[in-house]
Amino acid sequence: MAWSFLLAAAWGGICYLDRTAAFQVMLHRPLVVAPVMGAIFGNFAAGAQVGAVLELLYIVRLPVGASIPPDDTGAAMFGGAAAAAASSSIGLDSGNFAAILLLSVLCAELGKYADRLVRRVNGRIAHLTVERLEKGDSLAVENGLMAGLVLFGVFGVALTLLFSGLGVFLARFLLPRFGPESHFQFGILLPAIPLLGAAAVFSCSRTDRTSPVFYLTMGCVFSAIFFFRWLV
Amino acid sequence: MSDIPLRVRRRVWFRQFLLQACWNYEGMQNVGFAYSILPALRDRYEGRPEEFSRALKRHLEFFNTHPSMATVILGATIRLEERVAEGKVDPRAVGTFKVGLMGSLGAIGDSYFWGALKPMASVAGAILAFVHPLLGIAMLLFLYNSSHLVLRYRGFAAGMGGEESAVRFLKEAGFTGKTEDRKMIAAILGGAYGGVVASHTAYLFGGAWMELGVFLIAALAVHLYTVFFRKAVSPSEVLVLLLLIGTLILWQ
Repeated sequence: MAWSFLLAAAWGGICYLDRTAAFQVMLHRPLVVAPVMGAIFGNFAAGAQVGAVLELLYIVRLPVGASIPPDDTGAAMFGGAAAAAASSSIGLDSGNFAAILLLSVLCAELGKYADRLVRRVNGRIAHLTVERLEKGDSLAVENGLMAGLVLFGVFGVALTLLFSGLGVFLARFLLPRFGPESHFQFGILLPAIPLLGAAAVFSCSRTDRTSPVFYLTMGCVFSAIFFFRWLV
Repeated sequence: MSDIPLRVRRRVWFRQFLLQACWNYEGMQNVGFAYSILPALRDRYEGRPEEFSRALKRHLEFFNTHPSMATVILGATIRLEERVAEGKVDPRAVGTFKVGLMGSLGAIGDSYFWGALKPMASVAGAILAFVHPLLGIAMLLFLYNSSHLVLRYRGFAAGMGGEESAVRFLKEAGFTGKTEDRKMIAAILGGAYGGVVASHTAYLFGGAWMELGVFLIAALAVHLYTVFFRKAVSPSEVLVLLLLIGTLILWQ
């Protein structure tokens, strides 16, 4: 288990750097993060299941200007680890799946506040950079940038350890306390969550032209699957 | 043509990936921009430490734009700095140029990358993940980065061609049309994703009329969520509401 957390911390550091500080090549997206976390904690497929739903949930919140969206990377760290730990040989049951997706919102919000804190500390680093440059330090900018980068990375590693630890704790000790009936009842909420993701994509892409197209495609795909199932 | 050596340009190009490494509320991307342009300034002001220091301070002023669009400004600013170093342009023109361009490029980038390309790539990845998770991951990374990395590179090259070349690049790139197209694809794929989810739910309930009912409820739910988003309700708030409902169900 210690090796799993060590690997998770390394992966988390990379993902959190990609989120804001470096590259932004989308390694931090839940669709990528959760399956890898799932693989680290023993079940790639369960992590992927959670990642595919989390991917779209927060997409409607754009990182425009100084606004910081909920930390969907952190939610995926939690979700991937929890899904792998909670899954059995037949996969993840609907009650656990819904519970993990809904509880991941707490990590997403906590991660957002941590991100704000990092950016405030970076403000101090930027001030120091200017001061040192005025004193004639020619390496001030390079050192300042590296300090910011390390800060983002360290916070990423710390958040990953916290979220994956919470995920494993939830899956091992909290979820098993509820019986199969409770799991079934909680599972009723599950369809409402991916539909929130579909609505988030619709809100992002909404124009006069796209509105009818969205509902028409939804109807066509639904009918096509219904027809196919009827045929079979 | 620019006199900046190729090795210096390469260093600037790699450094621009760290534009947001010291993102802060006061200067935003200021430290990142100064860090990116540093090799070019060192090359231009070699043996002139005071002018070099003044030039570097110019780039520690407030700067914020979309990170993928910053390469255009970065390239064009290097060209401008070359002329400042030669004494052909007033140094104050550098700040004016950056401020003039960063707002509009930020708006274009936010709309194209965050508002259209990312949702399109994400939903395409999420749909393919139903087939196989690795396919989904590959599709997301390919769709986003094939556009993102190319635009970063072409933007930098256009900027290095000077201000006119940068403006020509922005005109020819056709961001408005591309944004519209990607939003349309995202809407189609988002609809398909919603249809698959509704169909899967309907299957669990069984019966033809029941399935139709589930579809209508799903479409209504999507519409309701969209109204919530328009009223500035965040997805987190909706999820917390669902969590409370779940807790109440368990309580009973």
